[in-house]
Order: sequence, then structure tokens, then C-alpha cells
Amino acid sequence: MGAIVYGHFTDEPDLLKAVKELQNKGIRIADVRTPFPVHGLDKALKYRRSHLPKVAFIAGVAGAVLMFYFQYWVFTEGWPLNFGGKPYFSVLSFIPGTFEITILFAAFAMGIAFLVRSNLGPGSIPDILDENVTDDHFQIILSEKENRLSETELSEALSATGALDVKHVNGEK
Amino acid sequence: MEKKEIPDAVPFRFEKKLKLWLAIAAGVGVIALLWAVFIEQAPASRIWANLWMNALMFLFLGLGALFFWTVNTLGESSWQINIQRIMESMGITIPFAVIFFIVAFPGMRNLFEWTHTGQLDRLLQEKTPYLNIPFWMFRLAIYFALWSFFAVYLRKISVKNDFEPHEKYLARLRSTSGWFMVIFAITSFMAAWDWLMSIDAHWFSTLYGWYIFSGMFVAAVAVIILITIAFKKFNILPNVNEEHLHDLGKYLFGFSIFWAYLWLSQYLLIWYSNIPEETVYYVERIEHFNSLFYLNLIVNFTVPFFALMTRNSKRQTTILAVVALIVLLGHYLDLWLAIMPGAVGHEAAKIGFLEIGLPFFYLAAFLAIFFISFEKAKPVPENHPYFIESSEYENI
Amino acid sequence: MHVSPVREPLINGEKSYKDITNDVMAPIRAKPGKLWFVGLGISMLVMLVGFAMIGYTVWFGIGTWGVNRTIGWGWGITNFVWWVGIGHAGTFISAILLLFRQKWRTSINRAAEAMTIFAVMCAGLFPLIHMGRLPLGFFILPYPNTRELWVNFNSPLLWDVFAITAYLLVSLLFWYMGLIPDLGTIRDRMKTLWKKKVYNFLSFGWKGSARHWQRHESMSLILAGLAAPLVLSVHTIVSFDFATSVIPGWHTTIFPPYFVSGAVFSGFAMVLTLMIVTRKVLNLQEYITVGHVESMNKVIIATGSIVGIAYITELFMAWYSGVEYERYAFLNRAMGPYAWAYWIMMTCNVISPQLLWFKKLRRNLTFTFVLSIFINIGMWFERFVIVVTSLHRDYLPSSWSMYKPTWVEVAIYLGTFGLFFTLFFLFIRVFPVIALAEVKSVLRSSARKFIGKPVKNQPSEKQ
Repeated sequence: MGAIVYGHFTDEPDLLKAVKELQNKGIRIADVRTPFPVHGLDKALKYRRSHLPKVAFIAGVAGAVLMFYFQYWVFTEGWPLNFGGKPYFSVLSFIPGTFEITILFAAFAMGIAFLVRSNLGPGSIPDILDENVTDDHFQIILSEKENRLSETELSEALSATGALDVKHVNGEK
Repeated sequence: MEKKEIPDAVPFRFEKKLKLWLAIAAGVGVIALLWAVFIEQAPASRIWANLWMNALMFLFLGLGALFFWTVNTLGESSWQINIQRIMESMGITIPFAVIFFIVAFPGMRNLFEWTHTGQLDRLLQEKTPYLNIPFWMFRLAIYFALWSFFAVYLRKISVKNDFEPHEKYLARLRSTSGWFMVIFAITSFMAAWDWLMSIDAHWFSTLYGWYIFSGMFVAAVAVIILITIAFKKFNILPNVNEEHLHDLGKYLFGFSIFWAYLWLSQYLLIWYSNIPEETVYYVERIEHFNSLFYLNLIVNFTVPFFALMTRNSKRQTTILAVVALIVLLGHYLDLWLAIMPGAVGHEAAKIGFLEIGLPFFYLAAFLAIFFISFEKAKPVPENHPYFIESSEYENI
Repeated sequence: MHVSPVREPLINGEKSYKDITNDVMAPIRAKPGKLWFVGLGISMLVMLVGFAMIGYTVWFGIGTWGVNRTIGWGWGITNFVWWVGIGHAGTFISAILLLFRQKWRTSINRAAEAMTIFAVMCAGLFPLIHMGRLPLGFFILPYPNTRELWVNFNSPLLWDVFAITAYLLVSLLFWYMGLIPDLGTIRDRMKTLWKKKVYNFLSFGWKGSARHWQRHESMSLILAGLAAPLVLSVHTIVSFDFATSVIPGWHTTIFPPYFVSGAVFSGFAMVLTLMIVTRKVLNLQEYITVGHVESMNKVIIATGSIVGIAYITELFMAWYSGVEYERYAFLNRAMGPYAWAYWIMMTCNVISPQLLWFKKLRRNLTFTFVLSIFINIGMWFERFVIVVTSLHRDYLPSSWSMYKPTWVEVAIYLGTFGLFFTLFFLFIRVFPVIALAEVKSVLRSSARKFIGKPVKNQPSEKQ
């Protein structure tokens, strides 16, 4: 039904080679888990570029507009005051505040988007199959559901790439 | 990463056709000058100010490139090795810039009011220990002597390493770059004060040297980008790929922001404190040069900021080249705004045929010297230990 | 990516990924030694004395400080600028060095970022308490109140509120986002269940998925791109506190970039002070190598030289301006009643870092440690000279006065050291001092065993 097959490697070049081999065989990879971001892995797995920069940009623009307008409103309609003869709409003075809020909005919107999109957060319980993945194991996970091969065929294919400790877990995951 | 086929390098030759184009450009410049002098009969101050402005721009491109090369050498960075020879040859134009300065000397009395020694007011009289022609000339000579020495010497060592690669040459490049950095910091600031700030001799700003430097640097990076893209297109530097363009684009983007930051700092602080001795500078520009004053900010900041924000924009030759060209023209405008209000005044100053045409002469001269220098050495320092790193790296 | 064999290795010893995990986790796993308890104890004591003095100040008023009618800012604001400046190194290392692809940042960025957060917290105390009536501190926030009176957006003091807040929050975000994967690593190494649960909570359920790593990298790059101008803007706005005035010695256009360079300068000095000790005590010499110290020293000499040039520019321009008040301000600094502070500043900031042009000294840890302390002293005096000497004698001679700190102000300043070190001692016990994932990611390219030829003239790592 929904078996998961997984194995690990001890080094990046082996991992990348294995990923390529599996893809050449037409096998879809459910997930790859590594202790650190492996250079070239996203390209090998054909992941599309993250949209987080767009989130940051939009949030930043929103912050800029909001903060600039707010200052403008405060100084022209809220309660205009004469500070040292400066004009009420003192554009130059508004720039520092606008800039800071832009950065703040952009950074936090992106941070929150990252966590939400990746389903990470305080209280998230991860489905860890190999605890050493955060230490020195580079793990490939294949799912029976995504491939039309059986669990044994997947295990064989994975072992053929040189994966160590190929295991499987049955049931829905 | 699939290895793209890197075509063989085409050796660079300063051919007749290229020389012809440069000659035509130079001709345009000469015609512009003659037009302004004889037909338009522009006031002398405007003519001399243009000669001065172009001499400075000519120098700034080479000086900025030399700085870029030496700072990367000191930082032990490798990406720039593939375009290093461009920076080296741009540096070689520095000693020749002095010719254009000398050409503008007769206009000093028009440009600098502190030269009218008989009619100085109290404030300018206070400044005479520094602002007097003999000392000023002496400083100019020292700046050029030092800069030229470094430009030529660094180039010589870099080329020597081509023929007998040895760590001692690289060590010498590093230590010489260190000396240059300190000397450049001091002399470039003083040059900015001597050659630009003293045009508005009653005014002063401690940030001025930085501001001029940042414009100089961005303009130089823009020129490096344009030359790099051109050489890449003609397979003179086939190893140059999107990664190098991306990095150059980052510098253009980042330092345009830095320039805007300095522009804003100087303007905001002077505006805020509202001290009349300082605000005269900006009042003049905002009252009489209003649109150009703000256009300066748009061209040099808003355009590169939005156009080069995305990753892809910095990796494509078209966008990068267009933005580089716009920014280069923008910094020319910045220099115009630094000189014309004080030297020429709002009634005579304008952007006419002289302002647009004359730079072509200087451009032609710059490129001629650059091409002659570039032809003389290998297009890349292949024996540099960072050469492979420079050819095989990837941006995030 | 090719790494040239002439480059100095970033990781010494024959380290594997597991070694990195174990080496960095050792202080977290191990039971804290006597030294740690003593250090934490002293820090907490000093911190509490400082807090008590803050309470004393709030209760009895700013009159307990030495500030007076002409010199309204003294130690309080000097300390504020000093601490904020120190904080800048963390963001510089994390953000700006990331943008410049400097791999050597990977073993120091976590601790430096933590240092930034702690330093900004210390800094933030001073604007709050120097206002005197702390319970009314919320007045500085722009909220709609019954008087319909808003805050003054024209004031750099208010821009500071936004700047420091944004800086603290974004630094926290950047630091924590980087920590998430490392906290996952710690969770998986922990055997005790409650510790595992705590670290799982802290790590937000990190599992090392490649998709998450891709987003994480993209986010880190954008955060770096955001944090870089942020760090420049924060100290710029701090400099605006002075430069927007009309006081000679304060109002000068060079302040923004000069302050920023000075901040990075003092910040790197503090990073060096901390790291030289930490690497020894926590046995991390093979990750924080002499090469790392040299690279940091190069940043110090660059920023120190910029600070030096700024001093020279100010001096020249004071004369060139022809303004007698400007000229007097600088003459007074060098030869007036506070000349001793001025010359300490000049020696520590201008002369001493120039010694770093000598490679031998750049790679000497004892010299670097001593120098880093001098630089921080010098930079404290720079802020003192700027704040106090410009105020104590400005335009009107009848207003000239003198400033001396009271023991309350001194105790508060020392208290911030207590706060800083308390937080730092706790940090090294609970969180990984070195960015595990980042160091592992440069193992293949930059470890000694992979680079090959040993670097010539490499002194023994056991320094």
C-alpha cells in the first residue's frame, strides 16, 4: 500500500550519483534528507526555485507604503506640528523609519512563510526515520505510492545505487 | 552541472576597424568642442568646466578599476581573476589622464574662485594656506605620481607572473595593494576636496571624499561590466560566464545603494541642521537645477535598485549592459551637478551638444589606451593559483 | 566548486561530519565545570548590582547620574553607542560575509550573532533608562492616545526606536533561523527524553528535508541581503542622533559611514576577545583556526584605517571650514580638559591596529587578544570624546561645564557586562557555539585533509 523505502549514504558525491541513477531509472524520489544543504542537490531533484524572495519583496513594499503613509498622515493630518521650521511633509525625515519597517516586514514575513510552508513550528513533530540524518547520514526516501514499483523493487533499486542500510516501513506515511 | 562547451579564446587585436570607430568618436568630441566655442559661443566657464569634468571622469574610471582590483587582491578573492586584465588595463589609463588635466589648467581661474587672489573674501583668505595654486599643483602632481606608479607597477608584476609564475609575485601584489589602499584612501579624498569641493569654496562636507569615491567606483564597475560583456560576446574572454556577470551585477547593485546612502546622508544632515553656510550648496541645486538634481537620484539609485534586484537580471547580458550604461551616464550627471552650479552658474549651465558630444573624445582616448594595453598581455592571468577557482565557481 | 590548493584550510585535524557534531556538542553534553559556574556566578552578581542601580536611578531620578544642564548625555549614551557598535560585528559576519561568499565565517557566525543579540539588549537598556521616567517609556511608541499626540517622526531619537527594535528583532530572526537545523541535530543526539522534547520544540521539528534546506538557503540569502543594509542603517541612525544637531564635533556629514566602520571595528575586536578564549576553553581550535583570527584581523585593520582616515578628515575639515567653533572644538579635544581621553582614543584606535599590517602579529593570538581589548577601550573613549567633549564646550562659553560620572552610572555600565556575560555563559551551555550545518557544508572544500598540501609557515594550532 503505502510503504516507504529508505537508505543512506555517508558522503555527498555518493548521494548525488545515486539520485541521478534513480532518476535515470524513472523512479520518483519522495524526499532526501541531509545534515546540511548539499550543493547541486536541488538541481538534481529538479526543485523549482523557492518563492520566499517574492514574499519578502511584497511584504517589504507593503511595509514601506504603510510606514511612509503613516508618517505622512501623522504629520499632515494627525497633528501637524512645527519642528524647527521643517515642512509638515518632511520626506527626508520619513526615510529612516520607512526603511526600518520595510526590512522588518520583509524579514518576518519571509521567516513566517518559510515555517508555514515547511510545516515547521513550535510543537511540530517530525517523521524521523533515521536520527543520524542530522549528523552525518544522507538519506534517500522512496515511496511506493509515488512509484508504480513494489516495495522490493524499490529496495533493490536503492541498494543498487550503493545505499547503506536499506530499510522499509509499511503503512501510510 | 553540465559543462558547457567553452569556445576557444579569440586573441584580441586592436584592429583597423576598431581604431576607425574610435577615431570617429574622437571626431565627434572635437566637433562638439569647436561648435561650442565658435558657433554657440558658450561662455568660457562652461567650456572649461566641461573639459575639467571630462578629465575627471576619464581619471575616475581607471582609478576606480585599480581600486577594485587591489581590494579584491587584498581580500584574497578569486572570482575576479578572469576579468582582472580588464581592470589592469583600465588602470593603465591613469598616467595619461594627467594630460587632460593639464589641458584644463588654463581654465582654473574660471573654475575656482579661490584663484582670484586679489579679491578673496575673509573666508577664502583663511583657506589660502591650502587653496593656493602652487600647493594645489604640487598635490596634483603627487597624486598622479603615486597613482601612476601603482597602476604601472601592479600591472608589471601581474604580467611577470604570467611568464614565471611564482608566489613572490603574488606576495608582492598583495603587499603593494596594501600600500596602494592606504595611499589611495588619503589621496582620493584630498583630490575630491581639491578638484571638486573647492569649486564651491565657501562650502565643506566631511563626507564629500566618500561620496565622490562611491560614484567613481560605481562608474568604474559599470565600465568593467560593459567591457566584460563585449569581450565575452566576441569570445575574447570565453571563460567569463553568468557567475562573473552575476557578481559584477551585485557590485553595481550594492554600491549604487551605497552611493545613494551617502547622497542621502549628506543631504539629510545638511537639510536637517539647516546651517546656512552648508545649505547654500543644496539650495542652489534644488532651486535652479531641480529636475536634474532629482533625476540624479532616480538614474543612479532607483533604476539599478529595481532593475537589478532579482537574481536573473544580474545574470543576463542585456539587462546588465543596459543598466550599466544608464548608471554610467547617471554618474556623469552626478559629476555635472558637482561642477556646473558652482563653476558655471544656473544661467549658463546646460546639457547641450558640448556636454553630450565632448565625452566621446575622452571615451575614444580611454578605450584606445585600454585596448593598446590589453593587447600587450594575455587576456587572463592563467598562471594565477586562483584561476581555476575563478572559472569554476557557482553563485548561490 | 574548485578550491585552490594554496588556500589555508578552514578545518584542521582529520575531521569527519560526526567529529564536527561531537566536538561542537561537547560543551552542551558535558556537565558544566567549576570555571563555568564561577564565571556565571560573577556575571550574574555584577548584572544584579547593575539592575539594582537601574532601579535606584528610576526611583530617585536622573539626578543620581552626573549629567547636568549643559552636558545632558554622558556615560549613558556613550555606553549605548558602544554596545550597539559591538553588536554590528555579528550581523557583518553573518550577513555581509555570506554575501561575499567568505567560507571562513562558518565557524564564528553563530557565536557572533549571539553576541550581537546580547550586545543590542545591553545597548537598548540605555535609551530606556536615560529618559528617567521609565514607567512612561511607552510614550516613545507611536500609538493613538487620548491626547491625539503622536511621536516626532522628525527626530533621530525616534528613528532610533525603530532602528534598534528592527535590528534586535531581525538579528534574533536571522540567528534563530540558522539555529533551527543545528537544534535538530542536538535533539537527535540527546538521550534524555525531556531534553529531546525541549530541543524538538526549539528546533520546530526540523528533519533535514532537502526541500526545507532549499527554502532555508534561499531565506538565509535574502535575510543576509536584508540584514546587510539594516546593519548599515542602524548605526547610521545612531550617528544621526549626533549629526543632525548644530554642535561642532557632532554635526558633520561623515558620521554615518564613519560610525558604521567604527562599529564593525569594535565589534570584530569583541568577537576576537570572546573567540580567542572560547576556542581554547571549549577545545574548538581546529574549527576556529589561526587563519580565522587572521581574517578577522584583516577586517579590523581595514575598518580601523577607515576610522583613522575619518579622524584626519574631521581634523582637516575643521580647519578648512574656517568656522572658529569647529576649529575650537577639535583644538579642545586634543588639548583641553579631556585631552587624556582623546589621546587614549587616538593611540588605541589609530596607532595600535596599524600593527596588524605585519602578518606575524595578525597570526599571533596573544597579541590579537591584547589588541582587541585595547580597541574596545579605544572605541569606548571615542564615543566618550564625541559625546562629552562636544557638549562640554560649545558655542556659549558661559555654558561651559564639566562632566564626571557617578558611581551609579559606572555600576550600571558594569552591570551590562554582567548581563552580556550571563547570557553568553548560558548560550554556550545550551546552544551550539559553532554553526554545525554550515561548517559541515564546507568540510569537503576547505578541510585540511581535502585541500592537500599543508600551508607553509603554519604555526602550531595549539595556541
